[in-house]
Amino acid sequence: MRALVALALLLAVVAPAGAHHVGAYTPRDNEITTNFKQIKFSLQAGKFDVALRLFDEGALRAAMREKAAALPSGLEAGTRAALQSRDAPEAERRLMIFFAALARDLALEADRQLADAKLSREARTAMGQRFLEAMWRYYNLVDFAVSSRDNKTSTAVRLAFDEAEGYAKTASASEADKLRAPLRRIAQVLSNLIDGSSTLPRRDS
Amino acid sequence: MTPESTWRLPPLWVLLVAVALILVAEVGGASMSRFKVEQTRWARSVMLARPLVHGLVGVRDVDERILDEALVKFDAGLRLFHMHAEGMGLVIIATTTVAATLVRSAPARAVIIALLTAGGAGYPLGYLLWAALIPYVGLERGKTIAEWLVWIPFGGATIVALWWLTGVVALRLVRR
Repeated sequence: MRALVALALLLAVVAPAGAHHVGAYTPRDNEITTNFKQIKFSLQAGKFDVALRLFDEGALRAAMREKAAALPSGLEAGTRAALQSRDAPEAERRLMIFFAALARDLALEADRQLADAKLSREARTAMGQRFLEAMWRYYNLVDFAVSSRDNKTSTAVRLAFDEAEGYAKTASASEADKLRAPLRRIAQVLSNLIDGSSTLPRRDS
Repeated sequence: MTPESTWRLPPLWVLLVAVALILVAEVGGASMSRFKVEQTRWARSVMLARPLVHGLVGVRDVDERILDEALVKFDAGLRLFHMHAEGMGLVIIATTTVAATLVRSAPARAVIIALLTAGGAGYPLGYLLWAALIPYVGLERGKTIAEWLVWIPFGGATIVALWWLTGVVALRLVRR
């Protein structure tokens, strides 16, 4: 009886002692997403001169230049021209293509890295979750623009994200191995979106 | 005036520990703000040298988020050390004064005061340890080590002593 009381007391002590503050972390925007939001809000306010300056001086244009080889040709110049000619829908469409390309490239890289057979299940799920977070951070910015142009693509991407997140959070080894399939699907759907949007000069809905 | 109507000081070594803890907290706070850039640079370089520990994948869009979270927590660990060391220094003074005044049994008084002092002085060091471990072993492993080496034993000592002291004070109130 005494031992039980002692054990109960010990648990009562250890539980609150372990409940210490360790701070909270809220993911922050990176320089590309921050610049995108600045440009988007400027466009929404009709401040095209401000949007153009933010584009010219910001991280988004630098990233477009850096990744030009993986992007549809003329994307950066076309975005700038759209901002200059005060064509908000066209600027939005080109920005949508850029962020879809960023998310697609991350999906392809995730698929490539997850193919490594030496990865443990824990490493695989942790890596999958991190790639999904990074992909969603970009795709989420343009999902509305995607859905307003091509609702099926938006739905397909969201479903694939949900599926991949489910696999990435699972404790079962066999489920964690299935993570690559939705990633490949995301990459494929976004590639179709980029190719389709790049050949169309204007909104198709 | 009865002897019980005046406050008794805890032993001098207890006051020394409490004041030294507050001093360390102030020095830590000042160092944090003076060397923030250097600390961040150091932590980042240590983390970059250990990509497997932190799950870095070599893709900037993914890794920046991981490094940012670890650096935020590293900074939080230092801040929490500063705040807890300041606060626990005062808690040691207040609670050991109550124990010195109201606990009649000499052995019990000595044990309560020792637990309050050791627990109060040791607990904040867990945050310093956690912050120092983050770049080397990662967020979760660092937290687990700090928990079992410092937070649980020293936090537990403080909680045991406080419950004990609360019981003694309540008993005296009932027996009055």
